[in-house]
Amino acid sequence: MADEFVKGFGILSGAGLIWMILAGWYRTPSFGGKQLTAEVSPASNIYEQMAYLIMDAMFWFMILGPLTFWVLIPLGRQLYAGYQARGQ
Amino acid sequence: MNENTNTNDDRTAAETAEEAELRTDGGEASETSRSSSELRTDGGEPSDERGPSSELRTDGGAITPADDDSPSFRERKERTDGLSRLTYEYFERSRREDQVLRDDSDYVERDVLGFPAWPHEMIRNLSITSFFVGVILFVSATMPPPLEAPANPTSTPAVILPDWYLYWSFGILKTQALNLELAVLGGQTIATDRTFAVLLHGPIIVMLFLVPFLNKGSARRPVEQPFWSAVGVFGVILSFTLSLLAIKNLMAARIPIWTSHMQLWLSFVLPFIGATIAYAVLKSMREGYMYDLNRRYYRLRPPR
Repeated sequence: MADEFVKGFGILSGAGLIWMILAGWYRTPSFGGKQLTAEVSPASNIYEQMAYLIMDAMFWFMILGPLTFWVLIPLGRQLYAGYQARGQ
Repeated sequence: MNENTNTNDDRTAAETAEEAELRTDGGEASETSRSSSELRTDGGEPSDERGPSSELRTDGGAITPADDDSPSFRERKERTDGLSRLTYEYFERSRREDQVLRDDSDYVERDVLGFPAWPHEMIRNLSITSFFVGVILFVSATMPPPLEAPANPTSTPAVILPDWYLYWSFGILKTQALNLELAVLGGQTIATDRTFAVLLHGPIIVMLFLVPFLNKGSARRPVEQPFWSAVGVFGVILSFTLSLLAIKNLMAARIPIWTSHMQLWLSFVLPFIGATIAYAVLKSMREGYMYDLNRRYYRLRPPR
């Protein structure tokens, strides 16, 4: 159980760090305005395209990773244990 | 062993002595000549000649594996109670290694609780320090803060606020509605609004000074002292609500059906509500939690 927690937490903090850096570069036009959530400007080169892709991937990884390890996998194990207990 | 003595009856003493010195056939005769104080390597029963001090085990007994018998990564993974078990084994092993060091040294034994700063604490502290220094360097290198234009001393900004850690003080300054017109004073207030707000800092600061003198018990966990935990929750929530009071005009402007007056009263009611809930929850979970805690504690340090 503790292992599952630290997996989800590692994904949350690690992916969140990468997302925060990229969003700080591409989604924060000024310090006084919208931070990390502003619209991106159209990608002008391959590096920006890659950065946008990684930024969105890390954002969803940050959400889906902990959801998987903290909710879905324990839920699946509980269901499986209940299913096995019923079979016996 | 009793069988061996019967087989050796017909032999001479010289033969027995010779065999004891030079045995190449792995025979059974040498068993009789072995004295009980000899070193046993077969893991047999412990002899009774060991002193009473050997009964006091300081190495964790059979629970902790020997140095060359550490569980593999797979064996650790197969355990269901991984982290608590691992912590337990770490402490037991540390304790045993410290005991070995103590036995080897001529340092006078004292009653010491805890572990030596070196290496146990320093290795951990160094790794934690390195981690946070790395995070600071990484974030400051990748996201440098901008250099804004210099402040203009001739114009006042629209929103005036202190640094965030002084919001609570700024919030107390916005409590004019608490400065009631008292009938005993003939409809007058005690002081002007600004003086009243400054005087209201007094009770808060007195509470802060009282904190070191409150509840100097041995409790380490909120669940052990529900009342004082509730007092702490009261203080934490009050600090937040007073801080939010500093920006009550901004909140009222942005949140629908939110008024500054409502927020002022909530600022002093919410701490009481939070403290009541905290007290009720901690009080109700106390018994089960303390039971689990004591069971864990006595597994780590069995009572004598």
